[in-house]
Amino acid sequence: MIWKKAGLTALMLLCAGLMILPFIWMFSTSLKSPLDVFQYPIRWIPDKIVWDHHIKVWTGEESFVLYYANSLKIALIAMAGATFLSAFAAYGFARTQFKGRELMFFIYLSMMMVPPQVLFVPKFIMFEWLGIYNTHWAIILPGLFTIFGVFMLRQFFMKIPMEISESAFIDGAGHFRIFFQLMLPLAKPALATLAIIDFSWHWNDYENALVFLIDPKLYTVPLGLKNFILEHSIDYNGMMAAATAGIIPMLIIFLLGQRFIIEGISSSAVKG
Amino acid sequence: MKNNWIKRQRLTGYVFVAPNMIGVLVFFILPALFSLVLVFTNWQFGSQSMNFIGVKNITRLFKDPVFYISLKNTLIFLASVPISLMLAFIVAVVLNKSVYFKGLLRVLYFMPYITSGVATAFVWMLLFQPSQGPINGFLRSIGIENPPGWLATTTTSMFAIDIIWIWFMLGYFMIIYLAALQEVPAELQEAAKMDGAGTYKTIRHVMLPMVSPTTFMLLISGLIMTIKTFGIIQAITQGGPGNSTTILSLFVYKTAFSYYEMGYASTISWALFIIIVLITAVQWIGQKKWVHY
Amino acid sequence: MKSKKILTTVLAFAMVATLALGCSSKETDKSNEGEDQKKSVKLVFWGGVPADAGPQNVVDTWNKANPDVQVEYNRFVNDDEGNLKLDTALITNQAVDVYFSYNVPRLQKRVDAGTALNLKDFKDYDIEDKMGPSALDWKIGEDYYAIPTTKNVYMIWLNDNLLKEHNLAVPTAWTWSEMQEYANKLKTDKRYGLVQFLESYADPMDSILSQFGETKADGTSNLDHPGIATWLTTLNEMMGTGATAPLGEQLTSKMPVETMFLKGEAAMLNAGPYIFRSSNNLTENPREFKIAFAPVPRITEDPAEHKQRNGLGDGLTINPKSKHVDEAWAFSRWYADEGVMLMAAGGRVPSSKDVDREAAVKLMIEGVEDLYDVDSLQNVLFEQENTFTRKTPQQVLDLRREEYEKFFIGSQQLEQTINNMVKRHNDYLKQ
Repeated sequence: MIWKKAGLTALMLLCAGLMILPFIWMFSTSLKSPLDVFQYPIRWIPDKIVWDHHIKVWTGEESFVLYYANSLKIALIAMAGATFLSAFAAYGFARTQFKGRELMFFIYLSMMMVPPQVLFVPKFIMFEWLGIYNTHWAIILPGLFTIFGVFMLRQFFMKIPMEISESAFIDGAGHFRIFFQLMLPLAKPALATLAIIDFSWHWNDYENALVFLIDPKLYTVPLGLKNFILEHSIDYNGMMAAATAGIIPMLIIFLLGQRFIIEGISSSAVKG
Repeated sequence: MKNNWIKRQRLTGYVFVAPNMIGVLVFFILPALFSLVLVFTNWQFGSQSMNFIGVKNITRLFKDPVFYISLKNTLIFLASVPISLMLAFIVAVVLNKSVYFKGLLRVLYFMPYITSGVATAFVWMLLFQPSQGPINGFLRSIGIENPPGWLATTTTSMFAIDIIWIWFMLGYFMIIYLAALQEVPAELQEAAKMDGAGTYKTIRHVMLPMVSPTTFMLLISGLIMTIKTFGIIQAITQGGPGNSTTILSLFVYKTAFSYYEMGYASTISWALFIIIVLITAVQWIGQKKWVHY
Repeated sequence: MKSKKILTTVLAFAMVATLALGCSSKETDKSNEGEDQKKSVKLVFWGGVPADAGPQNVVDTWNKANPDVQVEYNRFVNDDEGNLKLDTALITNQAVDVYFSYNVPRLQKRVDAGTALNLKDFKDYDIEDKMGPSALDWKIGEDYYAIPTTKNVYMIWLNDNLLKEHNLAVPTAWTWSEMQEYANKLKTDKRYGLVQFLESYADPMDSILSQFGETKADGTSNLDHPGIATWLTTLNEMMGTGATAPLGEQLTSKMPVETMFLKGEAAMLNAGPYIFRSSNNLTENPREFKIAFAPVPRITEDPAEHKQRNGLGDGLTINPKSKHVDEAWAFSRWYADEGVMLMAAGGRVPSSKDVDREAAVKLMIEGVEDLYDVDSLQNVLFEQENTFTRKTPQQVLDLRREEYEKFFIGSQQLEQTINNMVKRHNDYLKQ
């Protein structure tokens, strides 16, 4: 048994190597000097470690601190809002009965399928009208609504046995109490997963920021990374230094969220 | 008494759905309808004139050879989703219980999803490099004399993209599966083992049905995400060589953002939309056969 | 219980962070408004060149001399996305006063969108007189909407030491087949004879089309002109023999052609003066060889039938919705005649006749003169005859590229390549 487990662990670690190869390249490039970027075969550990690129990310005139702060603000608000609003709607679609529920859900779902490039023109006309064009709200506000989130949580809610709600009804609880006191705690793993995914979407969102943010003071990390694209070449070292630091918030969110995923409901509340 | 309950329930249902519905109406449905109008115009982004040209964009689409090539490429691209899903399920099951360093491994498998797209593109290009890349180096060492050209030839490039996409989506699917597996009560798994069912059977007859709503959701949303994505292809091949990796969404992107032909871009988008809706509808109807709530 | 605590902490943190950031950003907004209320006018100037490659210097110089008109530089990346960003900013009337249109099709779109100011009312500057006859390429309809401020130059960078080693002279005019011979002699197993930027790959095609017409007399595509087939075959042969990098190889290894040339891994490089920024930087790109320059070779046998892609570029454009059009014009004039000089070190050749060209060349190679063959550089930079400005729409550039890529990587024959290009070009023309 132990050998089997150890063997599986070794195998999974080996495969994991492939999963993090680009990350290793990213980090090692951020420590290289420009000439070494294109050395072939790839030198994973640079001959001479250069910290300059990392220092530039955090200090000086072209520092990334502002971009990180902007991205963090957008991603955190959108994540919190979207997770809650999705749970709310998902509960409606999964646990309440109303006319046209299925059809409505399908139409709802189909909106997920519209390619975003064609939505941006009407969106920016709307944002201009609302007066939120070239503000962070132009990204946060639509970011609060995620159809994927509703779909995902709906699937989770549907899986929870109906008997739990029924016995709560008999005890005199209404839908709101059931939602807040029973369902939200039960759906913790799913909520945490959605939060992680939603955060990484907003953190990496390039297109919305590109079109809706004009003022450089409002730029997010993906827009900032474009600064490293020079006229006829790319400053890979600087770009990778900024990008390496850029995944730290995502790692933190992932590690925090993971605790909720593992805790799971199998150990806690399904007794009712 | 009971009737009252149901009526109240109906209303509550709307109350729950309404906030999100309003947002979706404003930020998705209205803009989508606007883009539907554009299908019948020749509007160029920014231009001050907009002429209605009837169905000209639609006939142009049907005559456009690039449309058919990208349609074919899109279908090849979509094939990566079920494969990635399958692998992700296996990885999730393994990482759920049966290994050491669970936490570490989960992070590692999620890394592709959060690594910079530029780095991803760069490394995969070098891995797939036909003459000196390690992948072909390995293939030659096991006796394959003419390994594929991967991203350098028009016949294999789309498959190379598929492999990269499988790799990319794996971690994303995996963590959602992990969350779903937490809902499989430990008692059920124990019970299956007591009955003498082997590991394979436990997975096949207990876990798989238990996570089927998640599989269903991931399949649909994974297909949708895949059909809509283009960033990674833009970073790796820009749709080339030739147009061998131009998928429909990239075609829309170029038409809209590079050529500014918003009317035509909307037309391609709506064609894409109809294709996804059809695929989804088929699965929606088929779900009764294999999705257990 | 524990997890609840963590959750609350995260949420609380999110709230606090939000509030803090929200407040701070508001504060900065206010301080900006304060500045605006002072008497000086503020112009926002958008360009595609990284600030430290010249523009910052330009802006600082202007600001020092003109305390009442302060210019702020905002860099956009000159690719599709960056231009899209600029265009949305223009359309939604965000702060843009002066900006660059880097090619004529883009300028055309901006004219259509009403976001480029017609310059005909400014009588105090004669663009054609200053910039020479090439300026005509930048005319849209009857008028100018931008001042083309630089001269595009495309040239072949030569590793002079290698040339001498092989007893090859620095050519002052040559054909592709002559360049092929050079490349064959200069290549080794570890060195290509020639490498090229993908951006200027198809220049020979445009050279031919600008000479013989993009379309034939009947309005159909001229992409089946024999010269284009000559170019395709010649380059393809060169790839086959290793005289130049095979396209598939170049695409899949993200080949850094500029670095390769400077490292001596390629003997010739087809590129513009923008390379000077790297080639002058001997700490990042150490080299010992001297660089000489030759014009881009021609396809046609007859030199009179050849056109060089040495037209004008960097069209300085004014936003008609700008609140300070007159100041913007004053700045534009100054930039075209004087400011542009500060861009020379970054590898831009000023086009105005008021600019001292020799001084510009000096600036371009300042400090490393010994490592360049200055005569050949002068000769190539200021060759004025028979130039063209690339005005090919992006759609056509793309459709041609898709087809010739298939040819160069060997998945399509010559004849079919040309047929496809012609067919797709005709389809495009019909729209």
